[in-house]
Parts: sequence; C-alpha cells; structure tokens
Amino acid sequence: MRNALLIAELSLREAVRKRLVSVLLLLTALFLGFYLYGIVRLEGTLDQRSLEAGLDGRSLNGASNLPVIYSAMFGMYLVYFLGSLMAVLSTVGAVSGDIENGVMQSVIARPISRAQLVLGRWLGFGAVNLGYVALLSAGLLGGVYAITGYLPPEPLAATGLILLATLLLTALTVLGSTLFTTLANGIGVFVLYGVGFTGGILGSIGTFADTPTLTTLGRAANALMPTNALWLGASYHLQPEVALQVSEAARGANPFFADAPIAAGLVVWAVALTVLAVLGATQRFSRRDL
Amino acid sequence: MLEGVNAIETHELRKEYRGRAVVDSLTLTVPPGEVFGFLGPNGAGKSTTVKMLLGLVHPTAGRAQVLGGSPHDPAVRARLGFLPEQFRFQTWMTAEEFLRFHGRLAGLKAAELGARIPQVLETVGLGGRGGETLGGYSKGMLQRAGLAGAILARPALVFLDEPTSALDPIGRVEVREIIERLRGEGTAVFLNSHLLSEVEQVCDRVAFVKRGRVLQQGSMRELMGGVLPLDVRVDHLPPGLLDTLSGLGELRHTDTNTPGRADVELWLDHEDAIPAVASAIHAAGARLYALNPRRPDLETMFLDLIEDTPDSSARAARLGQGAARA
Repeated sequence: MRNALLIAELSLREAVRKRLVSVLLLLTALFLGFYLYGIVRLEGTLDQRSLEAGLDGRSLNGASNLPVIYSAMFGMYLVYFLGSLMAVLSTVGAVSGDIENGVMQSVIARPISRAQLVLGRWLGFGAVNLGYVALLSAGLLGGVYAITGYLPPEPLAATGLILLATLLLTALTVLGSTLFTTLANGIGVFVLYGVGFTGGILGSIGTFADTPTLTTLGRAANALMPTNALWLGASYHLQPEVALQVSEAARGANPFFADAPIAAGLVVWAVALTVLAVLGATQRFSRRDL
Repeated sequence: MLEGVNAIETHELRKEYRGRAVVDSLTLTVPPGEVFGFLGPNGAGKSTTVKMLLGLVHPTAGRAQVLGGSPHDPAVRARLGFLPEQFRFQTWMTAEEFLRFHGRLAGLKAAELGARIPQVLETVGLGGRGGETLGGYSKGMLQRAGLAGAILARPALVFLDEPTSALDPIGRVEVREIIERLRGEGTAVFLNSHLLSEVEQVCDRVAFVKRGRVLQQGSMRELMGGVLPLDVRVDHLPPGLLDTLSGLGELRHTDTNTPGRADVELWLDHEDAIPAVASAIHAAGARLYALNPRRPDLETMFLDLIEDTPDSSARAARLGQGAARA
C-alpha cells in the first residue's frame, strides 16, 4: 500500500506540476463566474417582475422560483458533464502514456508490483477528479444559495452520486489505459459515456411513448454504463416537490432529470463496476509486456 | 542475499512476439560481481533479454533467475539497478526529485537519500545540476541521470542497456570508470552494447548474440581459443633467440625485412610467460623496443561470428588450421 500511495502522490504532484490543477482552477473560476453572473441577472429580473406584480416576495420552493431551481439543476448537470470530461481527459494516459513515452520501464524495474502502480494511479487521479467535482459543486450550489437563498433539497446526496460517477469513469479510464493506446482509450471511454447517455434518452422516450422495448434497452444501457443513471439519481435529490411534479407531469419527456430516486441496486452495481475496473486494470497490466 | 549465488542464471529462455522468436534458447550464467558484456547487432534480442531479467517482459518459455530469485519478486528487484535503452523519465521532475522518487520506490529512507542523491549525481557528472528539471536536460545529461538512478540504491546487479549511446567520448570514459568502480565494490554489471571497444575494455566475460541466440560466450581469452598474442620488436635476432622463444610460446610470425629491426609475433598460453620472453631477449643480447600483449580483437571475432559463422567450432577449427600453417 505504501507504494500505491507513493504513486498516488506522484500522480497528484504530476497534476500540479503539469499545470493541470492551475488550469482547472482558472477555468472553474471562469465557468462559475459566468454561470453565477447569469443567475444574478435572472434573480434581478424575477425580483423585478414580482415587484411589478405587486407581490411581497417569492417562495423559494414555489413555482415562481422554478427558473432558479432549474438553473441550479442544469448547473449541476454541467458539473456532472465537466467532471466526466475531466475524469476521462486527465486519466486517459494514466498507464498507457507512461508506457508510450518509456517512463514505465524504469518505474516497474523497481520493487513495486504492477497492481500497486495501477491502484496508485487510480487513487491519485481519482483524488484530483473528485476534488474538482466537489469544488465545482460547492462553488455552484454555494453561489446559487448566496445569490438567491435557494438550496436544493438534498445537495449532499446529489453530489455524492455525481462523485461516484466521476470515480467510476476514472476507474474505467484507468482500465482502458492498460488495454489500449491513449487515443483509443479516450475515444472508447467517451463512447461508453455516450452509451450511458443514450440509455437515459431511450429510457425517457420509452416511458414517454409507453414503449416497453425502448425502456428495456435504456435499462440495459444504464446497467452497462451506470454514469447517466447516477446523474439522474442525483437530479432527483436536487428537485423540490414542485419540480418533481413538473417532471411527473412531463412523463419523462425531459431526459436530463428523473422523477424517481436511483435504484439501490444500480448504486451497488456502480460501486462494484468501479472496483472491477480497477481489478481488471491490475490484472491486465500485470500480464502486459513493457 | 546469499554469497556465491549467481547474479544471473537463465535456462533455455525464450521470447516470441507473434510467433517469431526474439530470444531463443538463451542459457547464461553470470557469477556475482562479474562485469558481463552482452554483444550483438541491432535487433539481436539484447534489450528483450534484459527486460525479461527485470520482469518487464514475460518469457514465453524457459527459466530466469536473478540474484537467486525470480525477477517478478519485488524483493529481488530491490537489489537491481537498471538504465533502460530508452532513458525517458518524467520530464516535469528535477533530477533530485526523480532520484528521490526512485529511491523511495527502492525502499531507501529519507535521511539515506539526502546523503546518497548528491553522491550519485556527483558520480555521474551532474553535481550541482540536480535542481534543474529533466525537461531541460540534454540527451547525454538524461542518460547520466538514468545512470545515477541505476546505481542509486547500491544494487547487487546493474543492467546497463547501451549506457553510452548519448554520451561524448569523455562521458564514455566516465561510464567505464563507473563500471570499474562498481566491479570494485562487488556489484555485478550486465552490459548490453554493440560498442565493441566499450565491452572489450571493461568486461570480464562476453556473450555474442544474434537473432536471439547466443553464438558464443566466455572470457576474451576463452573466445580467442585461450591464446594471448604477443608482439615483440627487437633490433636484431641473435642466433638461438627464436628457438628460445618457441619454447615459451608458439612462434607465429617473424618479420626481418626492415634493416635494424625485427618483429616477432608469439602466441602465449598465459600472460605469466611475458616476463620470461623479456628475460630471454635480454639474455640473448638483443635490444627490446616493444613487448606488446595484444588484446583479443573483439571486432574481428564479432564480425566473423555475426556475419557467417554461427558455429563456434568453425572458428576453433580455423584457428587450429592457422596454427598448423605456422
């Protein structure tokens, strides 16, 4: 474990030294600033309208506040999307990159097992990606709260599910980087991510159109790649009663938000898939010639 | 670990890539503390062999033991040093960070590393440059940094894969000195090279490989058929001197064409006979101008072996015929 932590530490330092972290922080600040500025303007307009309508104020969880509620939810969808993007891009060459540029030989010639190396890479990049998503979530929800006073019902549960999706994607990308070249891996994991998203869309069309076959296909895609299901689960925790009623009325016409919590089995499966991906990566890398 | 355990032992080691054997029936023994030269043309399977001995590549068949254990055992690898042929390291690190990272991987304590890192940097000629990032290093400096990494943890066996490929002549001499120092400390060195002079000057024993097979292995003397050629130059040949010399070794060649000087080539069985040759010349009353034990000519042997005679007996036979003609 000491060696795995040493590799994790190396990965973290690598992320800092290759300016990954500083670029991320800068872009995060830009993204949050841009998004929150929009919300400041939105809040001003809404306040203005309620004044013009002669109202004393708006209920935070009422229908009149739906624009703010949806801003927070779409904001969190962007957090999930950026987190996924980051998980794939930062980790895409975690193992293959070091093999391709020849760094791996001198490292593996040391008394470190290959399993330790893979585990360390996953832990290191996982920490960077989780830190990024946590920071982004806190910045977004905190910002919305500071501007409008609105906080989604269960922000921690929602963020937890997004973090799990990030960790799962990081694990799959590490697995891919022991199987494929860096480029092929990046493409492959993004396609998988797309499969998850497709699952969500098929599922919602299936529900909307009452077509069981589509729903089943959607469910299969979600099981294969549960990241989108995790996001939909997170979206449930972000919706107050009024928003859930809208979702229910829409009967799944909106593939971005769900009106039901995620099945516990899918969460367990996502955790299991994360562990399996890391184990698979250690197995694959242990057999590989360098 | 155990004293007297061979540094390297392989038996019928084989590696195939897509059905093609890159290393074939490789059987080698390198005793502890020996500097072993592994010679062959490009693509002979030298690097693959080293990688198998380090556990980087899994053999298709056969057995490899390093320091008495398997190279896949981290405890064994803790006592190995390795300079890869492609010496590429994390370019964002400084040389000191690189060595600290590798030292920690090798299990060295922080305090130990604090003392050892400046030492090895000094040894490889990078003293005072350890604070620079590897990205700014020249190829030669990178190779030196890699060499520092290879000897950092005081290994019992060091693999050097083409260690001077990026170095200037001064660097090459320095690497030779480092290898000699390692030998002095009892460290075994496995030197992969296609530079004959490099191998010739430092190696106790060599093996020639071609297409993944060992054509011949042994000490230089053994490879030369156990003879030591000696060039002698005197002012003249007093009567009887040649007879005395033929008693000491095999008289191969005599050249008296140039007035005022005579060249004699003598093949000795052992270098202990050299002083006797000098005494004999002195006693015969000739003036001695040169007495030159010639190193076995690795290049000629190499070309012979690599080009057309994969069979070592052919060479021995030719040497035998040569002796008969003389």
